[in-house]
Amino acid sequence: MRGITVALALIGLLAAACGGTTTPGAGTSGQATVKKDLIIGFTASQTGAQNVASNKQTEGIKLWVDDVTKAGGIKLKDGTILMPQIKSYDDQSATDRVQALYTKLINDDKVDFLLSPYSSGLVKAAAVVSEQNGKVMITAGGADDATMEQGFRNIYQVYTPASKYLTGAIDLMLKLDPTIKKVAIVNEKDSFSTSVVAAAKPYAESKGLQVVVNQGYDTGTVDFGPFINQISAAAPDAIIGGGHLPDGTTLAKQLYEKKVSARFVALLVAPPEPTFADIGEAAQFIVGPSQWETQTKYSAEAAKTAGVPFYGPTGADFTTAYKAKFSAPPSYHSAGGYAAGLTLQKALEDAGSTDPEKVKTALDKDDFMTFYGRIKFSTDPKTHGKQIAHEMVYVQWLKGSDGKLATQIVWPAEAKSADPQLRK
Amino acid sequence: MIRVRAPFLPALLVVLAVVAALPLAVNNNSLREELFLMFMLITLASSINIIMGYTGYVSFGHIVFFGLGGYFAFYLMQNFNAHFLVAALAGAIPASAIALVIGVPILRLRGAYFALATIGINEAMRTAINNFEPFGGAVGMFFNFSVYDTYGGARNAALLAYGVMVVVALATVTTSYLIRRSKFGLSLMAIREDQDVAMVVGIDPARAKVVAYVISSFFPALAGATFFFKNGIIEPGVAFDLLRSIESLVMCVLGGTGTVAGPIVGAALYEWLRGFLITTPALANFQLFLAGLLLLVVVLFVTAGLVGWLRNRYPVLRAYIQ
Repeated sequence: MRGITVALALIGLLAAACGGTTTPGAGTSGQATVKKDLIIGFTASQTGAQNVASNKQTEGIKLWVDDVTKAGGIKLKDGTILMPQIKSYDDQSATDRVQALYTKLINDDKVDFLLSPYSSGLVKAAAVVSEQNGKVMITAGGADDATMEQGFRNIYQVYTPASKYLTGAIDLMLKLDPTIKKVAIVNEKDSFSTSVVAAAKPYAESKGLQVVVNQGYDTGTVDFGPFINQISAAAPDAIIGGGHLPDGTTLAKQLYEKKVSARFVALLVAPPEPTFADIGEAAQFIVGPSQWETQTKYSAEAAKTAGVPFYGPTGADFTTAYKAKFSAPPSYHSAGGYAAGLTLQKALEDAGSTDPEKVKTALDKDDFMTFYGRIKFSTDPKTHGKQIAHEMVYVQWLKGSDGKLATQIVWPAEAKSADPQLRK
Repeated sequence: MIRVRAPFLPALLVVLAVVAALPLAVNNNSLREELFLMFMLITLASSINIIMGYTGYVSFGHIVFFGLGGYFAFYLMQNFNAHFLVAALAGAIPASAIALVIGVPILRLRGAYFALATIGINEAMRTAINNFEPFGGAVGMFFNFSVYDTYGGARNAALLAYGVMVVVALATVTTSYLIRRSKFGLSLMAIREDQDVAMVVGIDPARAKVVAYVISSFFPALAGATFFFKNGIIEPGVAFDLLRSIESLVMCVLGGTGTVAGPIVGAALYEWLRGFLITTPALANFQLFLAGLLLLVVVLFVTAGLVGWLRNRYPVLRAYIQ
């Protein structure tokens, strides 16, 4: 064991000795340019429960690095050019692994900045280590509110927080049919879905809605019969809730099979996923929140209307480049990964330096729009770094003129690609 | 012939202490983080060894005490501003009390039935906490980072947690050794070999088993309190993670059940191997395959575990390695 430990220590020292390299480049237009490596560290879940979404996020980050490299690096005002390099490990979707690996990234690999792993639980674990070491981390893939209410000073969230996941759906629902009065809430009993519902329920009540059912189900539930019986008995006008992909898909299917007549159904996570189409007709009219969709149209014009600068590629350019590189369409996880990179890039350019304090000041001041949406962080010490400007978009499965089911953006009104419809 | 008794325990503790001091001496935080996990796993594996290795009862859901200790301590720190050290001890005591209450009925079960019952208890506890609002329900509990200011900031708190985890691991190993050398330990091993015969020679198996179970629940509870204190967040899924339980069993088997050094060797080897495979690009894609293969080899060909195999192969070592 002593030998193992000594070997570990040696590996650590070796890694520390081979830190970043600096290559002086040829001067252009009189100013000396210095090319420097910018090491970006993160872990990805190549194995374990978060594998699929995490891969998508990593692909987004890789595409960002590619784009920056093609553009000749991140150019700072003093002439320094930063060339991003990725340093990444497999975290096996396990929180204790995440903590050990982030410590390694910070201390052995001497990364300059951190991006986050995917999923709320892993982001929390990484954020703690990052904060303990005073390292700046941009998080994608973590929507949990609790993480950003811990009084962190170095963590910045790109995702819209969980508390806003279903509040927009309630707005959409009331806009679509103001006569809706009774709503049933049925959600998975895990950290994420519970915090979504904890915010959505009082919001619904504040809008004059009556919550007739408020039930949680365990992760992994496959038979929703008892819940559906309860819902049917209460005869709600609308149903909101869900949790993740498997349970959300099953719930939608069983609601359809048991002919539950609610006029509006909004579920978490599952509806934006392409595999949701596997349940056929049952998917029709189901609404779901998403951080981003390929049809989302945030543009320079939209930025101008909002009075903020537009930064980075357009949504169409991102989607095209992504498809060309990975032969698959991007998901919102991919867009989140790319947006995290963009956010760091902009902060570095604004700060004109890689000094963490200056970059943090730049991030605190930032308010801009990208293809992924608007980005601005809370500067309130209690919720520092929490995302406050990015809006969810809501998709609905609708039949096109060809009779085929597809997702359309139905909310917010300025981003919609089709009109929302009530369930029939 | 004079029989020399090797000072096994002092030597083992010195080796562990030297290893624990290493990251502090070379000021390497990532090594410290690796060792934090390693000492946690040593605690878990050595505790399981008391009930599994000595007594012969495979406690699959032993992680339940890790979670309970974590939850109790976290609750005390969160709601009563208790100091971490006080909270950890105060959290471990009710966890062990629960072990006493559930130990009495389930230790009557033998073999697979006992193993199944422990899994059931872990899952039941996870679901119960998931619905228990004072503990934050499904969302769990989390600290504001300013909590760590009491301990001189988050960095120092992590250092404190490391120190405590090392002490807990050393205490677990010492307890494990003392049990093995004691008359009580002998009665446990007698129960393991044949409970009915043990009864005939005057051992009270029900009592001995429950005492062993309670002792083996105390240290994981302390480890849980320390782990979640450092983590800053506790959630039911992470606290009652059955996979971690199974990993601790694997470490025991890898190193050698029923020996003092076995779980330590197993935990160190397992953790080192996992870290090595994950961070080596050429092997990263095969890490699970290789880990599985290794386990298969151990289970098929080295059933006594590494320490057990050494002791069997070179009987002279039996005086030196317990």
